[in-house]
Amino acid sequence: MPNAEFEKLKEALRKPATPEAMREAAEAFAQYRKVSLGKGNSRPTLVNLGKGTGYPHAVPLDKIPQELERNPEFFKLLKRVVAKEES
Amino acid sequence: MPTTVLMSDFDLPTRSASGFILRYIAPRVEPVQLFSFLVRRLPFQLCAPQSDIIIGVGHGNESSFTGQNEAEILEVGKYNPREIRGKVIKLLSCQCGVALCPDLIKNGALSVAGYVDDYIWVMDSDLASTPWADKEFAGKSLMPVVDGINALLDGKTAGEAFDIELEGYTRNAAAEEDELIKCCLEFNRENAVLLGDPEGRVRARLKITLPIPPPRILIPIFQG
Repeated sequence: MPNAEFEKLKEALRKPATPEAMREAAEAFAQYRKVSLGKGNSRPTLVNLGKGTGYPHAVPLDKIPQELERNPEFFKLLKRVVAKEES
Repeated sequence: MPTTVLMSDFDLPTRSASGFILRYIAPRVEPVQLFSFLVRRLPFQLCAPQSDIIIGVGHGNESSFTGQNEAEILEVGKYNPREIRGKVIKLLSCQCGVALCPDLIKNGALSVAGYVDDYIWVMDSDLASTPWADKEFAGKSLMPVVDGINALLDGKTAGEAFDIELEGYTRNAAAEEDELIKCCLEFNRENAVLLGDPEGRVRARLKITLPIPPPRILIPIFQG
């Protein structure tokens, strides 16, 4: 069953990459993060094999809210991955 | 015929992906493997023409596939077709399926598998020196890739190997409880492409699984 926090993140990511939408997505991801991944001793990190993409190759999950809020390219990446919409 | 395996290893994503290839693929292929600082254009030029299969892990974009520290390995219009002619190629990299993979096919590659958008996954960065042990996070995305490559090395066709990779994503996504990891698995599955001849295949290699993993990967203290 999809969790409510993740649904809020999807909704925020469906919006255009404006500062308001990016802040909303960052807050939604922080809420989702509180109830999900990364319990215990692990240090989960979102990674990709892109080159010259405008976003980092590796973002620890606890830093994703900051990256979502400041980087429109990263917002667009998560829009494609999570909201399954073209950026 | 040897296998050309390119395993970049200079940041978290390349270390994670190459770690799985090192653990599960490298033991069963001939010792002509390019790891870490050897993943550069010149060693590739020397190895690739003699191989029937090229397996590459590295950063990429629509028109290029890179090796260690993003050294160019294959770029549209900037390689000798002899390096890829008649070969089965698997590129674990971002976006190469858009322009590079079609270019490889146009220049004579038998079949090429890649991705038309980013290849993205969650890894445990605390396991960077033993990436193959990351079953909880990275394994869910990277083991389907390993299973597909192993199918190729078992003598299965490129099409069969591609289906095995896709089925792995589907199976792992269905069992996954975390929404973000599930989205990454579905994203990788949707963006995987196979171009060229789906009946392409290579000489079957012996099935070898090492009972113990490789030694820990040394990580320079100035790297992530």
